[in-house]
Amino acid sequence: MKISLNWLKRYVDITLPVQEFCDKMVMAGFEVESIENLADTMDNVVVAQIKKIVPHPDSDHLQICTMDVGSGEDVQIITGAQNVFEGAFVPAALHNSHLPNGMVIKNGKLRGLPSNGMLCSGEELCLKDCDYPGAEVNGIMILKGDYPIGTDLREVLGLFDYVIDFKITANRPDCQSVLGVAREVSVVLKTEFRAPSCDYRVSGGSIHDIMKVDVLNVDCCPRYMGRAVRNLKIAESPEWMKRCLKAAGMRPINNIVDITNFVMLETGQPMHAFDMRDIAGHHIIVRNADAGEHIVTLDGNDHELTAEMLVIADAEKPSCLAGIMGGLNSEIKDDTVDLFLESAKFRRDNVRRTSRALGLRTESSGRYERGTDINNVEFAMNRALALIDELGCGEILDGVIDKNEGLPERRELKATASSINALLGLDIPAETMLDILCRLDLQATLDGDMLTCRIPSIRDDIEGRADLAEEVMRIYGYDHIIGTPMTGTVCRGNILPERKKNNAMKQVLLGNGLNEITTYSFISSKAIDALHLNAEDRRLQQIRLLNPLGEEYSVMRTQLVTSMLTVLATNYNNKNEAARLFEISKRFVAKEFPLTEQPQELATMCIGLYGEGEDFFTLKGLLEQVLKVCGAVCRYERSDEPYLHPGRQAKVLLGDATVAVFGEVHPKVAQAYGIDTRCYVAELKLDALYQVVQKQILYRPLPKFPPVLRDFALLCTAETPVGTLEDAIREGAGKLCEKVELFDVYEGSQIPQGMKSVAFRAVLRSAEATLTDEQIERATAKIIKKLEAAGATLRQ
Amino acid sequence: MKEKLQAILQEALTATQSVQTQQEAEELKVRYLGKKGELTAILKQMGSLSAEERPVVGQMANEVRAQIETAVREKLEIIKEKAIEQKLAAEALDITMPGKSNKQGRLHPLNTVLDDLIDIFQSMGFDVVDGPEVETDYYNFEALNVPADHPARDMQDTFYLGENLLLRTQTSAAQIRTMKKRKPPIRIICPGRVFRADEVDATHSPVFHQVEGLVVDKGITMCDLKGTLEQFAHEIYGPETKVKFRPSFFPFTEPSVEVDVSCSECGGKGCRVCKGSGWIEILGAGMVHPHVLSECGIDPEEYSGFAFGIGLDRLTTTRYKISDIRLLFENDIRFLEQF
Repeated sequence: MKISLNWLKRYVDITLPVQEFCDKMVMAGFEVESIENLADTMDNVVVAQIKKIVPHPDSDHLQICTMDVGSGEDVQIITGAQNVFEGAFVPAALHNSHLPNGMVIKNGKLRGLPSNGMLCSGEELCLKDCDYPGAEVNGIMILKGDYPIGTDLREVLGLFDYVIDFKITANRPDCQSVLGVAREVSVVLKTEFRAPSCDYRVSGGSIHDIMKVDVLNVDCCPRYMGRAVRNLKIAESPEWMKRCLKAAGMRPINNIVDITNFVMLETGQPMHAFDMRDIAGHHIIVRNADAGEHIVTLDGNDHELTAEMLVIADAEKPSCLAGIMGGLNSEIKDDTVDLFLESAKFRRDNVRRTSRALGLRTESSGRYERGTDINNVEFAMNRALALIDELGCGEILDGVIDKNEGLPERRELKATASSINALLGLDIPAETMLDILCRLDLQATLDGDMLTCRIPSIRDDIEGRADLAEEVMRIYGYDHIIGTPMTGTVCRGNILPERKKNNAMKQVLLGNGLNEITTYSFISSKAIDALHLNAEDRRLQQIRLLNPLGEEYSVMRTQLVTSMLTVLATNYNNKNEAARLFEISKRFVAKEFPLTEQPQELATMCIGLYGEGEDFFTLKGLLEQVLKVCGAVCRYERSDEPYLHPGRQAKVLLGDATVAVFGEVHPKVAQAYGIDTRCYVAELKLDALYQVVQKQILYRPLPKFPPVLRDFALLCTAETPVGTLEDAIREGAGKLCEKVELFDVYEGSQIPQGMKSVAFRAVLRSAEATLTDEQIERATAKIIKKLEAAGATLRQ
Repeated sequence: MKEKLQAILQEALTATQSVQTQQEAEELKVRYLGKKGELTAILKQMGSLSAEERPVVGQMANEVRAQIETAVREKLEIIKEKAIEQKLAAEALDITMPGKSNKQGRLHPLNTVLDDLIDIFQSMGFDVVDGPEVETDYYNFEALNVPADHPARDMQDTFYLGENLLLRTQTSAAQIRTMKKRKPPIRIICPGRVFRADEVDATHSPVFHQVEGLVVDKGITMCDLKGTLEQFAHEIYGPETKVKFRPSFFPFTEPSVEVDVSCSECGGKGCRVCKGSGWIEILGAGMVHPHVLSECGIDPEEYSGFAFGIGLDRLTTTRYKISDIRLLFENDIRFLEQF
């Protein structure tokens, strides 16, 4: 909330430098978002009077003005403006002055004659008519002459002021007002708070003779107060009021509208003014809108209403959206004669819902949403009437319409000083607490250790001892909190086993040169199209955000592959020659649609690679290591993911469950991402891997007897998987088999077409004894038999 | 014969002097000491000597043999030593050439910082727990003392997935899940991803990360909160770091504070990093609101607690002086490899 410091000073004395003052407010819970020094806009511009004007001898339009600038010596200033006249009071920018439009004025010459400054137009001073009457005139701004010559123009314009933007927290709706902040200032600075005048004269007559109010929805409008004013004199507001409004970011309009806005800013209670002519039947009805009913609000927009929305209607039609905005049909006009003034309390959730539904947020709705005080309704009304009287805007009718079903008294709240100290960990004397709570108008009393407060309705945020502790603390000062170590049993915290396993897998991947990436959990709903999944694939059933920031972030991802491909593409486009990446994150799988319960969030790992030396097997090697660190023993089978190369992909099976799919990305898919090289991805379902119980590691004795190495050079059809040959060797060697290693695969010349040469080395060993020639030959023969059964022959 | 032996000795020693290679040394040894060597030839004539002379000459011959053998052996050692020196000299490397190694990958900087936090809080006895990213309205708002239509909901623009389902706006939701599951004493942190409808720019991201902390026990005070955060700040920013509480408002804590640390860049004097204030805001915290404790079945008269929420992304960008938060999610390896 932006508040002019001068406005604040009407109610409380502030003598501290502005920064120091703001620092104190921050430490009391009022964050300061900005401090604007209005005086910074210009300097060395003064009120001056033109003593004499003569035409410039070398110009047909320039005029030489002899100026009294209050310094005792005449100053010559040449102007091109034609609206100046002898005796006129004008703003003069003197030597080395700065103007709000960035200009710096220095003594100089115009057509050979000295000109020691500049007479200013309103435009050059960035002023509008509402800042100073006549500021928008074509030519030099003519001043009223109500300030002595030589006066700093900033004083005339009220610019010796600061605008402080306080951030009011949601628990302090009472401070959405200048008075609310001023009360806090008086507590913080320990100075007196001066309430503004609420006195006014009434002119007789009675509102009850001319107006009738019925509140049909008491729940949403617990208090409605109305007063009438007649014989209005619509005019401009005085400068001081306009300045207050402008500092708060509101545009001055006319005295009546300005008073309602001023009072809202001052007291926090929104007000509304109706032209009484436009209230059909002179009957105000606070009711729910009829579904489909329309209203055109002050901003000229037409709204269709629903039955939940509260309106202020007359006998025929809605004339105001309760607490949000008035209707165009009953606004105050230049010729309005009779005024009906409203001050009311509306339920905050109702205002909030209507405001959201119509997309209409105003200073008024913002205050109602955060909560207004039912007891403040009358104070604000009286304050507005006092201003109407003070500014002579009209005659106030006798009588008050005040519809309410009883007003709340102060609530009693008890807490012991020791219980407050126990929460804070301090030893603040009960008397100190008592003093602070009294200054905060909580009418505290102390009986032994027991503090009894009487909480006004304006502070319904204070509910218990924790709230009292906060009130005490923010005034007592948080600097008094001294850090202490916690007591209690000391032990190292636990970490989830999943996190431990993730860390182990990450170590493997980091050791292999993979960098970890982080991508968003939501993706474009169209991203998945690039994978060309079958229509019935469950991954297409993505959960939609109801209010996404845009299409780009509109669904929760069911897979990590598209995010990985995007990152690979980013790196490829950034001319990085190679990339090895991984991510551990979540997939979101809905149990059913429409979504009624939380989806499954499944831990998933994705690996992505491209660059020289990468191929299917480098990726497979990484997977093997990851699976090993999880203790998972898996099989590999061909798979059929549409986004992978049909001949270069595989799935990893743990028992019957697929725990991973990996392979070379289909060139069409890679190309769609703009990746013009072979790239590889793997996706692992970590939830399944977390289930694997790691076997306890038991030491095996080192072999005592020598191994026997046997090489097998084989010929088989090109299609024969080497895995089956390896299995054949293992089977043939039986329990003598220690290791089988593939060391060569060859296709080409010297090999018949459609065939390949495969070479293995088998390591045979017995734990009991050195192998005999007979044992070796028997094993070799068995191996060869098995190999032949698998379709391979020994190369001669 | 004695003269002959002396002559052979002199001749052999002289010859040894001029030997250059291992092969020459071996040849010399054969020439003088071999079966057909000169010394052997002389010894074969021993028979012609008298019985008195024989042992004298015999002893002398043995001495000559020993001397020649020693001379050749010493020469051989010198030659070998030289050969090694030459070989090593020839093998000298340009040690400015780069080392050979497997490239080590890097953790994402967010996780590097997170691992540090986990380490700090784990050592202080905090368990590390997890929570779902898709939350119900109840856990994210209602149980945290933010009822429907409460203005505090305006503080966070929420992404909704269904009437009652949303992307959590704060890891505080994990407080409720934890307190409903276990009874005090509780010390947990919950790191995780959170979501708010902020447009993407250099300092905002709709996806970011928090580390929620919660302690509930008998006699927990606001001074304990400060003590805990001071320990955390000392580990992260250095032992000289000061911690300051500023009053603030969160619906789920009372009293609530914003927590500032003295700027590690200027030590609190004021600089560009801290915008001249000497302080940097790092987290929000407070004493767990009695409503929140009651909602979880914990008696606020018996127990008290504190909670805090650390913004991991901000901690990361300030630690590494990363100027644009988008870099964290773009994942260019030239960025990732720096950490």
